[in-house]
Amino acid sequence: MTAPTKIAVHSLADLKNTTDDHLPQYLHNLKFRQIHRSTDVRLALGYSAVVIAGVLFYFDWKFGWDATKVYTAPAVGVYFILNGLFTWWVWWVEAGLVYEGEGKGVGKLRLTTSTQKHIPVYNLVATFSLPGTTLPQTITLRAPFTRWFTSDGYFAPKPFQQWLASEIPVIGAADPTNVVEEIGRGSETERVLNASGNNAIDILEQLKKGASAGAPQATGAGVGGGSGRRRKA
Amino acid sequence: MLGVANMQPRQLATQILNFALVLSTAFMLWKGLSVASDSPSPIVVVLSGSMEPAFQRGDLLFLWNRWQDTQIGEVVVYNVKDRDIPIVHRVVRRFGGGKTPLRLLTKGDNNAADDTELYAPGQSHLTRKDDVVGSVAGFIPFVGYVTILLSEYPWLKQAMLGIMGLMVILQRE
Repeated sequence: MTAPTKIAVHSLADLKNTTDDHLPQYLHNLKFRQIHRSTDVRLALGYSAVVIAGVLFYFDWKFGWDATKVYTAPAVGVYFILNGLFTWWVWWVEAGLVYEGEGKGVGKLRLTTSTQKHIPVYNLVATFSLPGTTLPQTITLRAPFTRWFTSDGYFAPKPFQQWLASEIPVIGAADPTNVVEEIGRGSETERVLNASGNNAIDILEQLKKGASAGAPQATGAGVGGGSGRRRKA
Repeated sequence: MLGVANMQPRQLATQILNFALVLSTAFMLWKGLSVASDSPSPIVVVLSGSMEPAFQRGDLLFLWNRWQDTQIGEVVVYNVKDRDIPIVHRVVRRFGGGKTPLRLLTKGDNNAADDTELYAPGQSHLTRKDDVVGSVAGFIPFVGYVTILLSEYPWLKQAMLGIMGLMVILQRE
């Protein structure tokens, strides 16, 4: 990772883009090989449309309307067909695709992400097939961005990687050290940080239990976040 | 917000493509309108007050060039040789037509005299087929005023284009 950049935590686009950008980096470090086919098709469609417009622009500027009139209608037609295909590709075929790749000996993986307007929750759909199988499986995940962003806007890779490795078997197989059990994933730390009148007793109870058991797993995550399930209970 | 410098080649290509698509789509829409109306310049902005009160400075005019048999009373846009700016004036006389080429005489509603002074030296009429860009088919008042500002202050053009380019390259909303 390069030097962490600070983002505006209230900008959903910043949250999503920073997180999306981290996915290929992380998987690259896990020796996944990224497949760029989908991006290449998109770029090919887009650039061929742009080239047609560029050529028409040049000939129109060089020879004028009367000379280029015959070619203008077909050029406009082809341009908008390519533009339509490009739009279709982006919205219906890629549909939020941020990563497609294959890990050595762990299987194929395809990740699409999305956010809903004004809701700071990261939606991730992972389609994967384990080695030796052809039947792809799909997992749909949701997590609040607070889980891997500090309150002052820095991305914290560790909890994010733990979340991915724990939930998606293909990533878990490639990165076993980041797989954490239910009790881990920073939830314990978070409960301490969020101490209030309502849950103080619960926290003390948990700390007591944790101290007696040694509870080593929660140390990795220094950042608050995680599901609110426990607190409600 | 991300710097351009630390982008992957494909990411950079995507950002440039987004910008190019904005420009090329605008250009191709314009060309599409040209094809539909059969006019090299289907939208023009009124630059002078010579057609008041019908059209004011800054009105946006939509042209149609598929009616070749222009009648008296129609407002046409025409070009004069060796002049860059098209003129929007009303047809007051027509000559020929049918087998001989149609020729027109025009006049601005707000002008005292007809346009013979505005035509090229030695020219006394417009040739419908060669000189006229199209007849006015519809208009939107005032929205073209931006282009008057842009042509009167040319540096605004560069500034606008620059800002647009930067926005598209830097933004990823």
